[in-house]
Amino acid sequence: MRGMNKFGISLAITGLVLLAGCKDDKQAQTQGQDDSAAGGFPRGKSLYLAGSQWGDPSTFNPLAESWQAAWPVSDRFNLMYEPLINYNSQTGKFEPLLGTLVLSDADSIVVDINPTAKWSDGKPVVSTDVKFIFELGRRFKGAATGFAIEFISGINVDTVEANGAKVERLSFLVDKKGRNNPLVILDLLQAIRIVPSHVFEALLTANKNDLAEVQKLKIDSVPVVSGPYQLDSYSNEKIVIKRRADYWGNASLHQGKLPVPLFVIHPIYKSNDHFAIALQKGDIDASQTFIPRIWLKKKDKVQTWMDQAPYFVSGAMPILLINTTKAPLNSKLFRRAMAAAISYSSIKELAVSGYSPDIQPGLIMASSPLESKYFVAEDAKARGVLFNLDSAKALVAAAGVKSVFKADGTLDYMTDKAGKKLPTLTIKAPAGWSDWEATVTIAVKGLREAGIDVREGFVDAGLYWPALPAGDFDLIMHKPASAVTPSLPWSRFDAVMSSRNWKPIGGGSSMNENQGRYNSPKSKEYNSKVDSLLKVIPITADEVALKAAYAELNRIFMDDQPAIPLCYLPEQFYEFSVAHWTNWPSEKNPYGPAQLPMVSAGTNSLWQLQPVQ
Amino acid sequence: MLKQYPTLRYILQRGVWYFLTFLVAIAINFILPRLGDRNPVDIMMAKASQGLSDEAVKEKRESFEKEFGLIEVTAEGKIIHDANGKTVKVSGFNQFLNYLKMTLSGDLGKSIQKYPKNVSDIIIEAVPWTLALQFPSILLGWIFGNVLGALAAYRRGVFDRVIFPMALFMSSVPFFVFGMVLVYWFAVVLGWFPAMEAYSGALNPSLSLEFIGSMGYHYVLPFFSIFLILAGGQAIGMRSMGIYELGTDYIKYAKWLGLKETKILSYLFRNAMLPQLTGLALSIGSMVGGALITEMIFSYPGLGMAMLTAIGSNDYTVIQGCTLLVTTSVLVANFSVDIMIGFLDPRVKAGMQMGGK
Amino acid sequence: MKLLRNLLKSPMFVIGAVLFFGTILFAIFAPFFIDLKTAMDRVGGQYLEPSGSFWLGTDDLGRDYVKLLLQGLRSSLYVGFLAGVLATTVGTLVGIYGGFKGGIIDDILNMFTNLFIVIPSFVVLILVSASLEQGRSLTIIALLIGATTWPWTARSVRAQASSLKSRDHISLARINGANTLQIIYKHILPYLASYVFMVFIMQVASGILSESAISMIGLGPMDNVSLGVILNQAKNAGALGDGIWWGIFPASIIITVIVFALFLINNSMEGVFNPRLRK
Repeated sequence: MRGMNKFGISLAITGLVLLAGCKDDKQAQTQGQDDSAAGGFPRGKSLYLAGSQWGDPSTFNPLAESWQAAWPVSDRFNLMYEPLINYNSQTGKFEPLLGTLVLSDADSIVVDINPTAKWSDGKPVVSTDVKFIFELGRRFKGAATGFAIEFISGINVDTVEANGAKVERLSFLVDKKGRNNPLVILDLLQAIRIVPSHVFEALLTANKNDLAEVQKLKIDSVPVVSGPYQLDSYSNEKIVIKRRADYWGNASLHQGKLPVPLFVIHPIYKSNDHFAIALQKGDIDASQTFIPRIWLKKKDKVQTWMDQAPYFVSGAMPILLINTTKAPLNSKLFRRAMAAAISYSSIKELAVSGYSPDIQPGLIMASSPLESKYFVAEDAKARGVLFNLDSAKALVAAAGVKSVFKADGTLDYMTDKAGKKLPTLTIKAPAGWSDWEATVTIAVKGLREAGIDVREGFVDAGLYWPALPAGDFDLIMHKPASAVTPSLPWSRFDAVMSSRNWKPIGGGSSMNENQGRYNSPKSKEYNSKVDSLLKVIPITADEVALKAAYAELNRIFMDDQPAIPLCYLPEQFYEFSVAHWTNWPSEKNPYGPAQLPMVSAGTNSLWQLQPVQ
Repeated sequence: MLKQYPTLRYILQRGVWYFLTFLVAIAINFILPRLGDRNPVDIMMAKASQGLSDEAVKEKRESFEKEFGLIEVTAEGKIIHDANGKTVKVSGFNQFLNYLKMTLSGDLGKSIQKYPKNVSDIIIEAVPWTLALQFPSILLGWIFGNVLGALAAYRRGVFDRVIFPMALFMSSVPFFVFGMVLVYWFAVVLGWFPAMEAYSGALNPSLSLEFIGSMGYHYVLPFFSIFLILAGGQAIGMRSMGIYELGTDYIKYAKWLGLKETKILSYLFRNAMLPQLTGLALSIGSMVGGALITEMIFSYPGLGMAMLTAIGSNDYTVIQGCTLLVTTSVLVANFSVDIMIGFLDPRVKAGMQMGGK
Repeated sequence: MKLLRNLLKSPMFVIGAVLFFGTILFAIFAPFFIDLKTAMDRVGGQYLEPSGSFWLGTDDLGRDYVKLLLQGLRSSLYVGFLAGVLATTVGTLVGIYGGFKGGIIDDILNMFTNLFIVIPSFVVLILVSASLEQGRSLTIIALLIGATTWPWTARSVRAQASSLKSRDHISLARINGANTLQIIYKHILPYLASYVFMVFIMQVASGILSESAISMIGLGPMDNVSLGVILNQAKNAGALGDGIWWGIFPASIIITVIVFALFLINNSMEGVFNPRLRK
């Protein structure tokens, strides 16, 4: 037994050493970043927001490409770096932030820089900062905001007198010879966050003017920001930002009030089901992830914008994008047959937990207050296809495709006009995205019943993303123009139908819009109306003309059916818990949009939330 | 030559064998993910090419291909173009040599999804958690299971009849199933313990009592989900060994001599231990595998979670790094047990051959 | 026969065998009464509680869990058996050949066996599964599992075969001019049969466990439901948090019971072959 004892003891000691070692390690790793939180983050002063950061935070560099940067530097979040203006997705209006929108027409968009706006190092936010980020693409090919120069031919700076103060007035000139699209410039103005040029010019100089080197910096130690919060600490488990007492906007935008939460904490969960559990337990206060059966969570103080179905405000439209170059998908009758074979009510009820209103044919989101003015109900009735298996079968036959069924009544295969067997079509979707998987499963079921030989093709996300721009699919799940921006619904039509950049499939070609290769400019059937409408809508100011243009575009979409809209989902799933914080914007208390307080005008609710005592 | 130091010779022999195995493991790790025709650069480009001009896309692609060692570069790191302006692909064999060189120097490359983060950094951040969870639970489970098994073998009777089927049942429950049952019952229904994470979201890691307390509280469910199942399997093995040993002559002799029960039990334990130790070495791989899935159930921030995230996002440099680390540590664990056997097993001391070559 | 009679005296064996063969018979014959063609069809709302019409409720797509579980059970058994047969065949051949032949071939085979025992098989499974693009089918997963677990069989069979090699009746056969194949077929296999069967049982169990684990982490078959896939879907659909026990427990219990039954059979057989364990 003595031998055994020694053995046991030595093992135990090894274990202790290892354990102690690992704690030291963790400590050292976070010490540099963290001094304020030795006693933890008091629950009553901390707001937990989740769902925007899934992986380990790798960089807080605002010049890094947006897919690399961590929350809240990524995406359109405006808590640390701010855009010139905010877009309120509820009212459709622009709200001032670093700047105020003065005028927007077909030639230019004019913004006054807020004279009180300051960086956290005390320097004022000036036109040089704005020009730096918007024109970075002219200096460096690899700039993440490089696409801005496709739309903006130049930025003129004037000084004007407003309310007795000197104000810098910026005119963003619409590039008439280029894309000629003021709508997208508005999108950019509310999406591109301004960075301190004095900081980054110095960094560029220090790195021999090599942007790629500057992009590799993490910028995670007391960065110079303009927003209401500053990076406090981060680890692979969470990112913490802390309120800036000297935020310029408190005085000029919020009547001198401070944002209520001292800390905003973004825990990093890796798995969808954890958000639901954390929200129910009050571990997080709001999340923007898909959580099924939200009504079961009411008892745990989890709420949404609306009390009952569809619970959320719609903003995004998942579609089934069709490769229109491949037989039999190149037949519009066949595509319409597919649209008639999918049970949209089943998708709504089962795949997305009833979070979608009943959808209408066409690409205009009929239930959205921002888009409904362009929706023409008579057109939808006359030309749109609704779920109806009999008409689907009739359309299949009309398209010259014959379905061959097995003895037991299930579909065997399809043949074309010449009687040749057609290969099975597949719907590509990323494996593991449970709501999309369910949607595809439901679609496949209906399609097969209607005699259309389609199967699920769930692939790893790593294969899904490259397949989309390459056109490497028969049918593919897609969410075009997924953010609610000023350019909707134009941006959705553009993303699905534009031939501006049309390239044939193969040879490494890639298209970031119209990935289904609809309406080839080289084909005999090319409908030039589509592209001319897409070009004219952004420069049309007259509402009547605009409505007519949208209506015509939508009619072409319904006739040609290059894609099949499946349901209307919110831009972000806005779910919140009232266990620790109350006074969230909601349908009954609509002082702000249905967005988490980190995006656009949603951020304003940070000044309105109330802690639960 | 080392005839007079049989233990040392044995250890050296095993060491060489494990090193060869390690090389094979690296080769497997290199080849398997490359069976499919996917390419990390395609995956990165799908995200990175948005909004870039065609020329910028081409440049970006080449810089990624250079970064991942897929195309030839000059000694100064300039990308080589052929007469047609195309890049030159590195041959598979040279890629392997580079990979081998990098791996042996501890460089596991860069993550695809978390680019430009190093895979080794991701692993270093995750490993302490995995060690903290797995080491104690596997070790204690092993000890507890063996004591239970030895007792069952020695006592037999009712004790055995209760313990044995229970242990057998526990060992047939998959780790993740038991983990989910624990979460369902103790976290969701009763609400006694947290369902996930390694510490409270209101804390940053520190050496404060509060943090350590929170860590301990979050430790309970994942620990038991590994510990109990492991103990079950070990108890079964130990029971069989114990019963076998009980029938041997030396135990009969000891009983006949009238030695104390604890004394006999200690002999029994010691002799049954060796095969159990070997068993531990052999099965440590599958144990670690199962226990890694436990991390996924509890969202425990260790290696298993890192691997799951990587699998979900197809980050195969990270998957590779994790699998290599798991393989390596299993090899190290095996080797350590082999060394221990070298010191404990009288047959090795006597210079007899044993074990695989 | 005597063996069987001995086995039947062991209550553990009887329980295990009844459970296991009951499950197999159920998996084979239940489809005559429960229409599996409609297993993937929606029958009601999302996660309906177990009731008279749906005994085990419905899943997140409103499918009848009874049918899904039956389908999953069949898939899991298929994987277990296919993996078990492959691992046992390869393992037995390698083990007998090496153990009986000895020499350099044995050394090489033995090195490979030990190599693959040490390299964790789930690592190989993950690496291969992650690199397979489409068509990660049940069969492929089963073959993968079998291809990574055969060394366990080879190892035990080799030990047995090499101990048989030096027995008298084999030397006698050799003197009588029997060739190696005949000796293996006539004199070694019969002795090993029950032994191989025991290892086979364990391989089936580990095949079922491996499949469920690999499906649980999202690398399961894409063409079919298995018990692991059912659990993975329930977990992803948030069944745990909503207390939807019928999404988690039935599949868990089925996996555990099959494996438990196999373990019981294996252990009681071990008891019979190793009389000291019996009492």
